[in-house]
Amino acid sequence: MASAAARTIIQTIRAHKRLSAALALLALAGVILYAATRPPPILLPYGELRIAVDASYPPFAVATADDLWGIDIEIGRALGTRLGAPVRFVNMGFDGLYDALRTDQVDIVLAALIPNAARRGQVRYTRAYFDAGLVLVGGLTRMEESPGRRIAYEFGSVGDQEVRRWQRLVEQPFMPLPYELPQYALDAARLGVADAALVDAVSVRLYLREHAEWRPVLTPLTHTPYVIAVRLDRTTLFEAVDAALAEMLQEGAIEAILRRYL
Amino acid sequence: MLARVTAWTVRLALLWLLLGALRPAGPRALLETPQSVDTLHPQVCVHTRLIDEADEWKIQRTLQLVREMGASTIVEFFPWAYVEDRRDSYHWFVFDRIVRHARNQGLRIIARLGLVPFWARPETAQALTTLNTLPEESYDDFAQFVADFVARYAGDIDHIIIWNEPNLAFEWGFAQVNPAAYARLLQAVYAVAHAANSHVMILAGALAPTLEPEGSPHGLNDLLYLRALYEAGAADYFDALAVHTYGFTEAPEAQPAPDALNFRRAELLRALMVEYGDADTPVFITESGWNDSPRWTKAVRPSLRIAYTLDAFRWAENHWPWLENLCIWAFRFPTLTYSYPDNFALVGTDFQLRPIYYALQAYARGREESGLLWLPPPQEP
Repeated sequence: MASAAARTIIQTIRAHKRLSAALALLALAGVILYAATRPPPILLPYGELRIAVDASYPPFAVATADDLWGIDIEIGRALGTRLGAPVRFVNMGFDGLYDALRTDQVDIVLAALIPNAARRGQVRYTRAYFDAGLVLVGGLTRMEESPGRRIAYEFGSVGDQEVRRWQRLVEQPFMPLPYELPQYALDAARLGVADAALVDAVSVRLYLREHAEWRPVLTPLTHTPYVIAVRLDRTTLFEAVDAALAEMLQEGAIEAILRRYL
Repeated sequence: MLARVTAWTVRLALLWLLLGALRPAGPRALLETPQSVDTLHPQVCVHTRLIDEADEWKIQRTLQLVREMGASTIVEFFPWAYVEDRRDSYHWFVFDRIVRHARNQGLRIIARLGLVPFWARPETAQALTTLNTLPEESYDDFAQFVADFVARYAGDIDHIIIWNEPNLAFEWGFAQVNPAAYARLLQAVYAVAHAANSHVMILAGALAPTLEPEGSPHGLNDLLYLRALYEAGAADYFDALAVHTYGFTEAPEAQPAPDALNFRRAELLRALMVEYGDADTPVFITESGWNDSPRWTKAVRPSLRIAYTLDAFRWAENHWPWLENLCIWAFRFPTLTYSYPDNFALVGTDFQLRPIYYALQAYARGREESGLLWLPPPQEP
């Protein structure tokens, strides 16, 4: 049966030599095209992990005369260790980060980056390694509990904006307590001048380092994720970085880094 | 078989069209009863960013919020390249809808004109050109556009700024900045614009605050540039000076100095005008303000941004009789950059009003409750 089929095929090829040759060439071209356009299997083609950072944002990345330090720097070094590659940081202004990625000056951007929907055609974002959103600190766990209570916040901040929004949403009013700085709003919650403070996560963590004796209830209210960006066509690298980040989050390595600064 | 496939294709196409027709209509931007601005401080002005807004209802909503805040005037960009893609062939639609809604809200418009269509840029393979590249042989084309613009919008737009920040290389087509060439541009525009609309006021400059020295490839110090502009004989070709002045990290009262960039740098520019016998020419500050980004070294805390902005208006009203408008950069952006420029806005891209909006509204409309914006720090027991 099989030999009969093979004979039929051979006869067909002999009968249509030119067509068969053209089809064979087409198949070969397809294979070559696939090989030329498939993603490179090499994780880091330059033999190092080149990381774009914006060292003007303490405590995430800061430049000194001859070094860089901060949360993003430590996470970058840990990623390099997990990927088995030396790390090279490229410090630049925030405005240049995406262009550096697009023009292959760097492999990843690790710069307290907030995902930008308009960039999703060019880059892929990893899972979040930090949430810098607003946190309700103190005796309230939901803003729905706010009527009749006192809420402290930093005047003019995103927290202020959220307080004003909630004042329009709740039926019974609450008492807004604006302060010049987030630490004053947190002072108000700690000292009982306010029932709760609504402040960003970075300010909360910095404050609690200074007041370790105070153990308020912390309730995240909004989300501002910090993520890593990888170019869309670097699929292998993206998967490796995201997997390493997942491991670090699960093992507590990210939290350990955060605790050194926040 | 073929007939059945064709019949089903036609039926499915009809169904698709029918379902498409059932889709709810987008928001409409119908004009309201004509409004007027309720303000105690008509100097209050904002720089809007409406030209790149796709949805007309967002233009209308933005301008409603401007009026409700108590700002009498907006500065808006009207790019030449958007409406004259072929010589003498205009598509005014994108400008018309902004003007229509601003008029409906009772707002005065200061129009910033610039951005060169491809046909007016040099044809060269040797040098790169940008949308800000305007060769001198195209000055008359630009002047004709300006004349057509002011004629079309006479009564709605009687203030125009010629170009933007010509003392920055980026804004001058990445060429070496050239005050004499800019003076010739003003000269080319001045007579034809006034012939087209005798009430039009030509604003020169909109100079960027910068300390770039002579010969810098990036630009030229605004004080040096203005002096050079006067030396080039430009005084006869503008009716007012447009100024950009930012406070950065300093309070509005901070002393001005030639080597410092702060809010009162406008006074140094004004002193130059007086020096050149131009004291009767008014000034419009068409960009100003503070930024409250946590990740920009030239920004301040949000509370200070509000306090400084309010104090800047008070300072201008009390000390600068030569000032017509103080315009805050910027009212609202059509999209976010997720970087520090977003923190110049008074209103979020999603139309969330930021606290600084309420503070400016209270100031402009005379509703300020007390001198204290925030409470004193709580005291330890």
